[in-house]
Amino acid sequence: MEYKLNRDIHSLLDPRTKLLLLFTSSIFVIGTAGEKWMSVFYWILVFLPVVLLFVEKEWKAGLISIAIYIGSFFAQRALQHDLTMIESVFALMLFILTKILPTVILARYIVMTTKVSEFLTAMNKLHVTDKLTIPISVIFRFFPTVAEEYKSITDAMRMRGIEMGAKKAGEAIEYRMVPLIASCSLIGEELSAAAMTRGLDVGKKRSCIWKIKFGLFDWFIIIFCFACFIWWGIGRFFV
Amino acid sequence: MIVFDNVCFSYKKGEESLSNINLKVDDGEVVLVCGPSGCGKSTLVRCVNGLIPHFYEGELKGKISVNDIDVSGSTLRQLSKKVGTVFQNPRSQFFNVDTTSELAFGCENFNMSPENIEESINRVVNKHDMSALMDRSIFKLSGGEKQKIACASIAVEPIEIIILDEPSANLDYKGICELQKMIEAWKEEGKTILIAEHRISYLFPYITRALLMEKGSIKKEFTSEEIRSLSKDELHGLGLRADDAKDPTKLQDNSETVIINKQIDDNCNTQNESNDDVKSREYYVLKNMKYSYKGEKPVFDIPEMKIPKGEIIAIVGENGAGKSTFLRCLCGMERRCRAKLDIDSETLNNRKRRQNIYMVMQDVNHQLFTDSVLEEVLISQDKEDKEEALRILDSLDLKEFADRHPLSLSGGQKQRVAVASAIASGRDIILFDEPTSGLDYYHMLQVSDILKSLKEKGRTVIIVTHDTELIERACTQTFLLK
Repeated sequence: MEYKLNRDIHSLLDPRTKLLLLFTSSIFVIGTAGEKWMSVFYWILVFLPVVLLFVEKEWKAGLISIAIYIGSFFAQRALQHDLTMIESVFALMLFILTKILPTVILARYIVMTTKVSEFLTAMNKLHVTDKLTIPISVIFRFFPTVAEEYKSITDAMRMRGIEMGAKKAGEAIEYRMVPLIASCSLIGEELSAAAMTRGLDVGKKRSCIWKIKFGLFDWFIIIFCFACFIWWGIGRFFV
Repeated sequence: MIVFDNVCFSYKKGEESLSNINLKVDDGEVVLVCGPSGCGKSTLVRCVNGLIPHFYEGELKGKISVNDIDVSGSTLRQLSKKVGTVFQNPRSQFFNVDTTSELAFGCENFNMSPENIEESINRVVNKHDMSALMDRSIFKLSGGEKQKIACASIAVEPIEIIILDEPSANLDYKGICELQKMIEAWKEEGKTILIAEHRISYLFPYITRALLMEKGSIKKEFTSEEIRSLSKDELHGLGLRADDAKDPTKLQDNSETVIINKQIDDNCNTQNESNDDVKSREYYVLKNMKYSYKGEKPVFDIPEMKIPKGEIIAIVGENGAGKSTFLRCLCGMERRCRAKLDIDSETLNNRKRRQNIYMVMQDVNHQLFTDSVLEEVLISQDKEDKEEALRILDSLDLKEFADRHPLSLSGGQKQRVAVASAIASGRDIILFDEPTSGLDYYHMLQVSDILKSLKEKGRTVIIVTHDTELIERACTQTFLLK
């Protein structure tokens, strides 16, 4: 069968929309700007990343996220009394987790669904300088690389009997980081050499085979994000 | 046309790596640059793609010109319009995560119109029959598939010169066949090709001449006929590999070959014993060796398998036959595998096997954790014994490096450090995953000697490999995974 490139493959959202959403989520979920006044928007921002996971057919990750949400909701309810020392540490950790988790899910979604080339082009359309976008674009590739290396190193450690609860448990973390950093920096160097032999350079105009434009859902999200900021502004300055 | 005029180069730290290179390569030539590791062949090709002097810094004398561009006076970007490179390690040459974008990447950087890029991608993909590889994550591809994508992404660009820097190092037999097709297609298109390699016989049909390098200079030049007529011993004398790109699964040599059937048929023996004295040997018995990826057919399913003690056993098999997975299951790293290994009177489950079997991984960087070679050996011992550790290091010519950081050593030395800690661990079964990939003849011999010395120490060595020369030289028994 003859192969034909389909240039129209892309995820639901445009890279620019994803970044706007990430920015909004950081401010209102992690930063909890506006607090009670923003609670409707807050909950939408908490559940939107899970919806996006389901759109990408990431059923398992989506269900786990929901389970964590529900679990921490009840745990927090159960902890609303006078707390012992350990309970309050637990409550604090839980609080931080629920604040950070939605944004982490969103960030992971962005890394997994955005093509490097799309990202470069989208940033270029926003007139962000290459000096910033090219180093950032490497992140998309680096997360899976680190994960892959980490797994191999963990295997090697298990085989050599260095693991939690076995001998040298204390050094286990150091032992893990040394080879990880060494091999990641080597990959990083080889990667930049390879990219440069293929003409990647700062300040040069580049094209993109993927069609990048805002769709219906992009506008929904963009309007929603702006609504968040406007509503917050109203609460902050007029009420 | 590539012209080297009296070129000398030395890396920032270290001695001269190229001295007095004079070379002229005409358009459409296919030139092999060969020689043992460290002879300067990679340095030479880096001068053509501009990584020297623009990426790897050092002192460059003389003049290099590539299609009338002066290499020192231009930028990497200017050169990259003319020269494309396929690197040794497919792990680190992709900038993108999905294969399709990777194919388009070079052209996008040159701001070609998307329609032209699309046409070019369609042409290359259909020509090399790779539609199954498109729109995939590069992290889900095998080594051979990655190298094919790397070649294809060069083929999509409108370049004139192609550099291959040890492209076969991580390839098995099938991967090499794919690479050959790629080179053939480029040759037909009239591209100039420069290949740095020490595994050379697979290139014989394509090359117009071969340059032999030694200690940074071109020692000898062969025509294609001359190099083809060299005997195996002559090639070995030059430090080159002489495996004639044989298919290890069709190997018929003097070591006994045992065929293991991956799937159980109704009436087949899992093991054919051909030799009489086989029966007098002692065995480890591996049972219920079964592995499958989630929801898929088993990769292998071996009810029982006898592993002779104290031998060097090669496990060969076709691409994707699950050789590496087999090793991982054998040493107890795969939770989804529930195999049992009978050692003498004891039966080992996964956890016990992790404590009794040592694996030297293909990328040894992953298994060296500490900050000195000596420490690396000490932590493997049940009870730290410095004298014993030094003795082990001495037996592997590593004593002088005892205080060095393991990651500062060369590839071969790192591998020996891993072997040293395997010996120190006192484990009887030692596994090797592709111990000779990318090694030249001398280093392959070194590995083979290490394997033999392990056998002399009474250890059982099991290696997964596609290196037919290593199998012929070191292995006493071959298991074919079918």
